[in-house]
Amino acid sequence: MTMTTTTYSDDVMCRPRAGTLYDVLELILDRGMVIDVFVRVSLVGIEILKIDARIVVASVDTYLRFAEACNRLDLERDSGSTTIPELLGGGVAKSVGKRKVKRAAESVGDTVRKAVGGGDDEDTEEETEEQEKPRRRAPARTSGTKRRRAEA
Amino acid sequence: MADHGLYVYAVIRSGQPLPANTPAVGGPPAVPRILREGAIAAVVSDAPPQLRARRRDLLAHQELLLALSEDGPVLPMRFGVVAPDEQTLRGQLAEARTRHLATLEQLTGRVEFNVKAVAAQNALAALVREDPEIRKLRDDARHRPGYAADLRLGEAVAAALARRAAEAGTRVVRELTALAHAVVAGPDVQGCAVNASFLVDRDDAERFTATARQLALTHQERAELRVAGPLPCYSFVADQAPAPTAVM
Repeated sequence: MTMTTTTYSDDVMCRPRAGTLYDVLELILDRGMVIDVFVRVSLVGIEILKIDARIVVASVDTYLRFAEACNRLDLERDSGSTTIPELLGGGVAKSVGKRKVKRAAESVGDTVRKAVGGGDDEDTEEETEEQEKPRRRAPARTSGTKRRRAEA
Repeated sequence: MADHGLYVYAVIRSGQPLPANTPAVGGPPAVPRILREGAIAAVVSDAPPQLRARRRDLLAHQELLLALSEDGPVLPMRFGVVAPDEQTLRGQLAEARTRHLATLEQLTGRVEFNVKAVAAQNALAALVREDPEIRKLRDDARHRPGYAADLRLGEAVAAALARRAAEAGTRVVRELTALAHAVVAGPDVQGCAVNASFLVDRDDAERFTATARQLALTHQERAELRVAGPLPCYSFVADQAPAPTAVM
């Protein structure tokens, strides 16, 4: 139980500099001053900001995964080491803290890449960098169990 | 020269300098400059052709605003505002001068913090421990396993996680409001139980961050807090002064 404490204090990330983009994209695109008579770049097609993979989507599939995880929970021994990202298919999360940062970075890349409609221009440098990290999107129903077994 | 118009980053006071070595939008990056019109000024650069919300350009916009914020109050523009030409922009600045100066005055020495609450990472065990209804559904699903039982359980879990995150987020917003001059609800973000921006004295920024950290610990089994800041005051430049407690 107490083990999670440090992780969580790290989770309050105040990032005022480069890389902030991920958590404030919707402010940059939706807030700030506009001048009605001026042209504004078209943002049509931008799918703004998805917070990690932790979105609790209302779907049968999600419900069944939650149920499975719930049934698997051993409240005596297992103090909640199954994280929601794992449940939602986040893959093998070894260090939640570090991984989260990386995942956040990936998501920005994703969102923004969608926003720019695929890399058909000089953004190739960023693209390459992002694509080097293998994406793990495969359903990972059992990863939580595996991880605990490995650690036991 | 500015065939594609002038990209506008911010409105500032005329006396404020342009920070050195700041990137502007475009590839290759344009050079930002200041367009002074009486007591106020606009920070602009030539707009690139085919401006879109690229990562590079979003970052340039944000970085330039952050750098500007170091030296004085800034009215940040939304990403992607382009004036057709210098004359039109000057006309607009002159026309809105009084309003802009008033807002600049209001934002002097203040920064924005954005706080989001999403369902907590380790929420599941805590939820099952603390919620009798979930426990009952879980017992049902164990004793009489089946698709329907699992579906009922899973649906209840999803709803409960979202509800708990929202409740915790609301409490956090209430606590943090005490440290802020104004609070506004942020735009809807999928997966976010709460999204709120706070206008905070720059001198109070550390205290705000420390308090947020403490609250994150307190509510860790219900919500995960994501705090960003200090930021340019994106959410506090509307023409009308924001209502002090417009969030909940």
